[in-house]
Amino acid sequence: MSAAATRVEEPRPAIRPSRLPDWLANPWGRPRFLALTTWLYIIWALVPVLFAIAFSFNDGRSRSVWQGFSTRWWWGDETFSVFHDPTYTHALEHSLTLAVLDMAIAAPLGILLAIGLSRWRGYGSRAANFLMLVPLTTPELAMAVSLLLVFTQLSLVPFSAIHLGTTAQVIGQVTFSVSYVVVIVRSRLAAIGPDYEQAARDLGASPRQALQHVLLPLLTPAILASMLIVFALSIDDFVVTQYMSSSGETTTIPMLLYSNARGGATTPALNAVATIMVVVTLVGVGGAYAALRWFGHRTESDSGGAAMRELATVEA
Amino acid sequence: MATRERDAIAAEASERSGAVSLRALTKAFEEVTAVDGIDLDVAAGEFFSLLGPSGCGKTTTLRLIAGFERPTGGEVLLDGTDLSAVPPERRNVNTVFQSYALFPHLNVSDNVAFGLRYQKVDRRDRERRVREALELVELGELAKRRPHQLSGGQQQRVALARALILRPALLLLDEPLGALDAKIRRQLRLELKSLQEEVGTTFIFVTHDQEEALSMSDRIAVMNRGRIDQIGTPREVYESPRTLFVADFLGVANTMSVEAVGGEGGGCSVRAGEFMLEAGCGDLDARGEVTVVVRPERLEVSDHDPDPGPNCLPGMVDRTVFVGSNLQVMVRLATGALLQASVPNGGEGLDRFRQGSPVKVRIPADALRVLSGA
Repeated sequence: MSAAATRVEEPRPAIRPSRLPDWLANPWGRPRFLALTTWLYIIWALVPVLFAIAFSFNDGRSRSVWQGFSTRWWWGDETFSVFHDPTYTHALEHSLTLAVLDMAIAAPLGILLAIGLSRWRGYGSRAANFLMLVPLTTPELAMAVSLLLVFTQLSLVPFSAIHLGTTAQVIGQVTFSVSYVVVIVRSRLAAIGPDYEQAARDLGASPRQALQHVLLPLLTPAILASMLIVFALSIDDFVVTQYMSSSGETTTIPMLLYSNARGGATTPALNAVATIMVVVTLVGVGGAYAALRWFGHRTESDSGGAAMRELATVEA
Repeated sequence: MATRERDAIAAEASERSGAVSLRALTKAFEEVTAVDGIDLDVAAGEFFSLLGPSGCGKTTTLRLIAGFERPTGGEVLLDGTDLSAVPPERRNVNTVFQSYALFPHLNVSDNVAFGLRYQKVDRRDRERRVREALELVELGELAKRRPHQLSGGQQQRVALARALILRPALLLLDEPLGALDAKIRRQLRLELKSLQEEVGTTFIFVTHDQEEALSMSDRIAVMNRGRIDQIGTPREVYESPRTLFVADFLGVANTMSVEAVGGEGGGCSVRAGEFMLEAGCGDLDARGEVTVVVRPERLEVSDHDPDPGPNCLPGMVDRTVFVGSNLQVMVRLATGALLQASVPNGGEGLDRFRQGSPVKVRIPADALRVLSGA
């Protein structure tokens, strides 16, 4: 009793004073500090790219001193502009070829693997699920070097049948990009759940018809998103593509940029190439986003957000 | 006026009859036996409920009938034909899922028409059937909407139309009202029941809600741990529960441990402490330690009865809870047992049964039930 009596607590004040001034820490106000940080980062990340793009329109040969506006490095110069110099046009063409092939192979393969993995229960399925993620975490250089070794040193079919060049480049890119497709499609499959497919079966669809009429339409956002990711990965890829290349014939834009970045003889045409890469990727992302929005609008009230969330999960 | 489609559904239902029999049906998963040797006969055109708590095996039973699971033992017979080896798409059985599983990429009428793709139905016929099926569930105007633009109750009706348009011999419903709020649920209960009467299709309805099962079913099977505890009409399972589990699951059951000493005539006298009670139903031949149950609404609580008749026990109000239409009066009996009585709200509020006030509780003999083997 006496203990209780001595432990009389100070009454809590009705209001605790704020330590920070109102303009900085007003919980009802705008998050100014956050906004500032975000804009600083965006500027930091974008300005170099904008500089590079700007110099592709430089009138002189310099890639650092502005000499006036012109489009000579794009198409004006009959010999050295991007669309005339065969080095550039060929690299562009080869980059796009690889991206399309990678997409055409990795997407269907990844979709099949994802559906297979989501249904596979029992012995080995957990291990397989885990191992599917290994290519995502393997350092790219390690993968590139090991692929080079097995393609050039190992005299064992099928490895020995693969020669460096376009074939090896496509196989190398598919090898690592298929994991991304699997991850995106699997997360979507998990969100879809088994009910829709069972409902289709219940209403008379065979397993194949349920896949075709219900599951694939529902997977469309994920399929589009993963194709876009694969395209971007392929266009961007340097390490694997470089190791799998054979000659000048199989040079891609990133390889070209890398080998010329510090060279003295390069012209703003190189900036133009970089600009094309940026634009191609942006158009890809934008187009896919628009498609997803349109699709999402048709299926879910949450317009297009689902696919973007899937993209975010993979990028993370 | 969806008469043609309704009549067609009804005609198919009566033609194929749609009687279901389960014979020693068993489904064992790696860790648990979800369904443990069930025998059950559902008559054609019956509204039959599988009632039980989650994990009792009711949904697995439904999935076995639908064909989503393969039994590890026993048979599923539809009008005498064993379905065990028939995949779901080839069974004349359709399901309304708990999640409804309406296809989000299709609008309402395409959802309803989905199953007709796999049957040879020409376009004009298909359009008419879809229209009439939607009218049957009173959703004619919403045909072009997408599922996400509908309320929960509307989605549920689309799911019903989508299943019924195929004129199944048997319709399975997996907690179809579970996702809705209480008021709509009560309204849909009536609609569902009258729809079933209209089309005459056999319904097997899975629910954990006893009120739902009691209010709609012709018969109910109460399931517990993969087995059926009792099958009967709603009145039978409620009024005459065979086990403690059934008594307890279907509403509030007051239980007391008493000693059955037998008696003359049809009844059975039981000793509760120093008091003798007459039990009028249940296992009247039991002797010794038994459990008796009585429903709260059958108890008569009086606060001013100087002359207690037979089957009366003195007690004290432990607490009273106001639930609107009723007062729940918890009475601590002189024997030590705590009983819950449900007293109609006569407008006097809580004053009539204040905490601590002495009362008499009369248990009518025909409401006191002796459970066998308890």
